[in-house]
Amino acid sequence: MADLQPKITVIEGVPVYDVRAFYHKFGRAKYISHLDLYRTIQRAFQRAKLPIWYTQGFNPHIYLTFALPIALGYEGINESFDFRLTTDIPLNEAAKRLNDAMPEGIVIRAIQPPVHKANDIERADYELTMSCKALPMEQLAEKLNEFLAQDSIETEKRTKKGPKMVDLKPMIFAKRVFCGDMVKLKVTLPAGTQVNINPTLLTDAFAKWAAIDLDYHNICRLKVLCADGTEFI
Amino acid sequence: MTLKEKLEPLLLKVQKPARYIGGELNSVTKDKNKVKTRIALCFPDNYEIGMSHLGLKILYSLINEREDCWAERVYAPWIDFEALMRENNIPLYGLESLDPLTEFDVVGFSLQYELSYTNILNMLDLGGIEPLASERGNDAPLIIAGGPCAMNPEPLADFIDLFQIGEGEEVMLEMIDLLQQHKKKGWDKQAFLREAAQIPGIYVPSLYDVTYDETGIITSVTPKGGAPEKVTKRIIKDMDKVFYPETFIVPYTETVHDRAVLEVMRGCIRGCRFCQAGFIYRPIRAKTPDTLCRQGKSLCDTTGYDEMSLSSLSTSDHPQVEELLDKMIDYTEEEKINLSLPSLRVDNFSEELLQKVSRVRKSGLTFAPEAGTQRLRDVINKNVSEKEVMETCRIAFEGGYTSVKLYFMLGLPTETIEDVTGITALGQRIVDIYYSLPSRKKGKAVNVSISVSTFVPKCFTPFQWCAQDTYDEIVEKQKALQHSVTTKKISLSWHEVKTSVLEGVVARGDRRLGKAIYNAWKMGCKFDSWDECFDFEKWKQAIADAGLTIEFYANRVREENEILPWDHIDVGVSKKFLWREYQKAKNAQVTPNCKEHCAGCGANKLIGGGECIG
Repeated sequence: MADLQPKITVIEGVPVYDVRAFYHKFGRAKYISHLDLYRTIQRAFQRAKLPIWYTQGFNPHIYLTFALPIALGYEGINESFDFRLTTDIPLNEAAKRLNDAMPEGIVIRAIQPPVHKANDIERADYELTMSCKALPMEQLAEKLNEFLAQDSIETEKRTKKGPKMVDLKPMIFAKRVFCGDMVKLKVTLPAGTQVNINPTLLTDAFAKWAAIDLDYHNICRLKVLCADGTEFI
Repeated sequence: MTLKEKLEPLLLKVQKPARYIGGELNSVTKDKNKVKTRIALCFPDNYEIGMSHLGLKILYSLINEREDCWAERVYAPWIDFEALMRENNIPLYGLESLDPLTEFDVVGFSLQYELSYTNILNMLDLGGIEPLASERGNDAPLIIAGGPCAMNPEPLADFIDLFQIGEGEEVMLEMIDLLQQHKKKGWDKQAFLREAAQIPGIYVPSLYDVTYDETGIITSVTPKGGAPEKVTKRIIKDMDKVFYPETFIVPYTETVHDRAVLEVMRGCIRGCRFCQAGFIYRPIRAKTPDTLCRQGKSLCDTTGYDEMSLSSLSTSDHPQVEELLDKMIDYTEEEKINLSLPSLRVDNFSEELLQKVSRVRKSGLTFAPEAGTQRLRDVINKNVSEKEVMETCRIAFEGGYTSVKLYFMLGLPTETIEDVTGITALGQRIVDIYYSLPSRKKGKAVNVSISVSTFVPKCFTPFQWCAQDTYDEIVEKQKALQHSVTTKKISLSWHEVKTSVLEGVVARGDRRLGKAIYNAWKMGCKFDSWDECFDFEKWKQAIADAGLTIEFYANRVREENEILPWDHIDVGVSKKFLWREYQKAKNAQVTPNCKEHCAGCGANKLIGGGECIG
């Protein structure tokens, strides 16, 4: 990755360096909502005293965007946000300084020039860890498999224009159910600006179908993927 | 399964789970086996409000500075999470360790408003602690409380073992020292309480017997076990030397005051007669601009906050306000920090000061004339003249402001219907002044928004003897006010009156009211300051079941010689002075502020006599 070319934008005659940070969000930080995560990272920038580029204008603020926001309560293994630096400081040093300023549960894995664009994102891999008080794990796993094997999985999705019925079945690109101390579901679903399906939409539909209460112990986004199946970088 | 593992599936089912999991930046975690004293600092309202409270931030850092102590935070879980906690047998826990309240040596509550009292009982119960002090065993945590409402501790006397009266920075540490001595030699709570009552500023309610006559008026308050007859409020004499946190906890989720806060001063020179804070925090003591700049820089550096606020009862009364603002504005501009300046007063809002402040990003312009006519403003000693209000509005409008927010109260003593409609008349004259200005912003309408609250008489104010308006009287006045508004340029809003009625009852309540608070909690009352939770009918029932009436506490005029439930608490300001002010109020006579002329309130004895200012 070190051979990635720096991406430079010239704003009002001054070069600024576009960069993308990859981070792991876990533990207590899972419960940060998107808006709060935005604030949390801005404050980490302030504490790290990095040469951050501010938007120009009457009310300057730190430039910070997220290619694919992550839902409240989700762990994210390799999430990303974009920002700009005003000097070309070594990116591993920037990553270290930012890491030192981060609260518990957010770890910067790398900072590098962006390769893909946000709308290159088409899918994501998830892993959900679940249990049900009323059912032994084997039975829960069995029921989940049975549910996923249906020809169509109709459920109601909330959209900006109100609730809408969708069939999730054709949107499941890959799936696998594991059974141990808990039941785990690994699933690949559409993600990004066009169609975005939260995995709990699928499992909540399952809970309704099976008439059970599901307890989620962890919901994790493993990877964010482009159309060709390569990881978003 | 650890509590954290038990919490995970529940957190995904509730609103704003970040409230319940801790781990925020700058929160303090210690090894519980290496500390002698564990203290839970509880705020009896939700996380967003509790995390905004400066007093608990100070105590949290102060206690955690000590290696032998560990202070944690506890807030009231919202209804949704409380239900899940009860259903899954999860006791209320400290946010740092996730240990239940029963594992703490001390559980302390901050008393900021009367309508949070049922939450105290609920939090204790949720933590596995019996709310009634008389039912708690020797090994239950010590339950303490402090804060402005502790100035009348009586309604909570049944529940709290010990109150700290006044500013806590010193008395808290003294109490911990004594507690550690007692724990070392074998814990006897009663013996500890008797000795703690000897520490200045500590009030142990169980060491006082109260008797009443057949009407419910107090006939005597008798200390026992060597407790002092009067408990005098503690203050910090030198604000430049007192502990102040170098950093704040930075919450994951947005709180009400999510910013760096600098405490500029304690006390107020104004003496507005309705304002409890104006009397109970006397005498005035300020921090120097250098101290404030140092503390502000430290806070911003360690938190990453891009917003800073100067906090006091009246920041423009700071002895070196111009120097302070100059330095602060320079620093915050350079660091791209937004500075907010609440509590700037009308009457010394000079053009020069306004110019400096206008370099700061414009937020709303707010004034609190509190009353609609000059006569009533004189009654309440709000020494703001209409001329000054108009002048400031003119300067502000010329400076580009197009909206003004005005705060008023209904139900002030001696108020007539002319005073009520005077509120709208004042608003109208501000509208008129805007349109009389040739330099006003073209094509923009002015908006004068009037916010009206209900006056609640409080202890340790000149109005502590007054009758509060009844619910019906206030509603009448609201109607009159509403009818008097004839323009859309004035917008009117007000607070729920029923909560003010209850606030009035509790604020001047005595010990017997503890029964009503207990009843109300048992009937399910909590979060009473939240309109969506407040249930006035239950409260009425709870008060009646305790054999008490709303009228006795809220709507009754007290006599000069009546023993008031809080008379054995000494806040510095003398009862004689308050009575004098009450008489002057009835004649609409004003009292100059402390800077102009000492009114002899008596608070100077707390700093060893002499002058407070100078």
